[in-house]
Amino acid sequence: MTRYLAPLYLVIAFAFIYLPVVTLVLFSFQGSTLPVPPFDGPSLRWYREVLGDDDTTEALVNSLVVAIGSSAVAVTLGFLAAYGLARHVLPGSAFMRGLLIAPLTVSYLIVGLGLLIVITRTGAGLSLVTAGIGHVVINLPLAFAILYASMGAQQEQAERAARDLGANEFQVLMLVTAPMLAPAIAAAFFLSVTLSWDEFIIAFLLTRFDVTLPVEIWSMLRSGLSPRLNAIGSVVFLASVAAVLILELFVLRRRQ
Amino acid sequence: MTASVTLSGINHHFGPFHALKDIALEIAAGEYITLLGPSGCGKTTLLSILGGFVEPTEGRVQIGGQDMTRVPPAKRPTTTMFQDYALFPHMTVADNVTFGMRMAGAPKAARTAKARDMLALVGLADAAGKRPHALSGGQRQRVALARALAVAPDVLLLDEPLGALDLKLRRAMQDELKAIQRQVGTTFVHVTHDQEEAMAIADRIVVMQAGRIEDVGPPARIYRDPATLFTADFMGEMNHIPAMVVNGVAQTALGHLPGGDHLNGPATLCLRPESIAITGSLALGRATVRDAAFFGAHIRAHLVPDGAPDLTLVAHFPPETDLSPGTQIDIATQPGALRLFAGDLA
Repeated sequence: MTRYLAPLYLVIAFAFIYLPVVTLVLFSFQGSTLPVPPFDGPSLRWYREVLGDDDTTEALVNSLVVAIGSSAVAVTLGFLAAYGLARHVLPGSAFMRGLLIAPLTVSYLIVGLGLLIVITRTGAGLSLVTAGIGHVVINLPLAFAILYASMGAQQEQAERAARDLGANEFQVLMLVTAPMLAPAIAAAFFLSVTLSWDEFIIAFLLTRFDVTLPVEIWSMLRSGLSPRLNAIGSVVFLASVAAVLILELFVLRRRQ
Repeated sequence: MTASVTLSGINHHFGPFHALKDIALEIAAGEYITLLGPSGCGKTTLLSILGGFVEPTEGRVQIGGQDMTRVPPAKRPTTTMFQDYALFPHMTVADNVTFGMRMAGAPKAARTAKARDMLALVGLADAAGKRPHALSGGQRQRVALARALAVAPDVLLLDEPLGALDLKLRRAMQDELKAIQRQVGTTFVHVTHDQEEAMAIADRIVVMQAGRIEDVGPPARIYRDPATLFTADFMGEMNHIPAMVVNGVAQTALGHLPGGDHLNGPATLCLRPESIAITGSLALGRATVRDAAFFGAHIRAHLVPDGAPDLTLVAHFPPETDLSPGTQIDIATQPGALRLFAGDLA
């Protein structure tokens, strides 16, 4: 009996997790104008429409730029903060670590609202840059936590050796610390990219004319369901999967 | 490249802990020195002060006659070979070896040639293109040595360099370290807690204990004529016999022995296991063999002297000696083998 129950449980569990995604992808190939059964595809009609639509492709590019740019900034700042706190005895460093990680516990809505108030007050207009700043705020704690945890005694000894052999602080960072932590840096970067890539609330609050893809999807949703949305969703999903695969294949695998 | 080292009045505190106390030490150019002592004796701290990783609370470090007390590691004519080798795992062996030259701005061609020479020196000529993780422990050790020597330091500092190797490899590397040191002529300062290793390679041994230097001298002198009871005990196996010295005679459970005239009162008499024999000019009375084990070059036996049933002596006898447990034997020694120290070993 249990011989069949265990696999059955597995099938049900995976179905529960993946059925929404499978449905989304399946109906992106729908032939008619409503993404509901019966399925009458396959057709690439909606993909053609999506990729031919300037607003959508622009939003897609915006999303990529914001995701990569904000992740690069978040990982750089997180790396420097982690290096400083891991390698130097500073007054109140436990408090500073806590302060750096604390934003993880604040909801995106609060972060977004706070930034919105500050940015409006300063008079700077809302743009992709402000959305990027919002994403740095939410991704920096994560990047810091990952990188801080991976700074061990092994790198510290290698850094000492490099200094002993005549390297200055910048050379130590660029030639020893960063390359030795490459797997952790890549993990932090790709995680930040995937989180920024489909983040909605902050991007919604902090953008105006140029918007990211999730915001674009939301505005399209207001005009009702369409297989076009499924097609965009599939593209977004494909990009996330690609990022995770790159991370898995080229970074985490090499560690073993 | 080589230079002398002078340490004077070194004191170091880690918070309330007084790690080094009034260290003064002269090291000649080209000498092979080992800093020997149990964990926590301050030997690694002293090495870090030499390398510039720790600035002493008080005192002066001079290398080649120049004051280096506050000079950072990168600017000192020293390099350190770290305990866990600290190789750069993301670089090839050749890039590891020439890292120091690269920092100094040496051109690529010079670096390639140097890497070849240094790797040949340590017997790893064919490993240039490999990564450190593809090498064995002993090979990594050699790469670390080549890397440290490639910058032609005046003084090479070695922090328990052989600690991670198995015994056989460690003995082989000791010989090799010594040979390489003679070849390059650099001053070597080598930290270890293994007294056999210290004796095997050092020109002079510095014995340390609780932040102080206990004794400094060539291995044979330190072993045969230690300056303190701690040194006597730390350098190999030692029998301790409680004694009371009165008017130049040491009264012990093994009889009255010559006590010298430099001390009076309670003392500890020290005797090496190999100095106890069946025959000798100084009789130590009869003893019963408790057990004996065959060690190839000698037999190691535990003896209980008849005159002191609660004392156990360790003695080494020639391998052909017949010593079954329970046998009664006469033991003796030579007068020159006895060492007397005031007080007890705490």
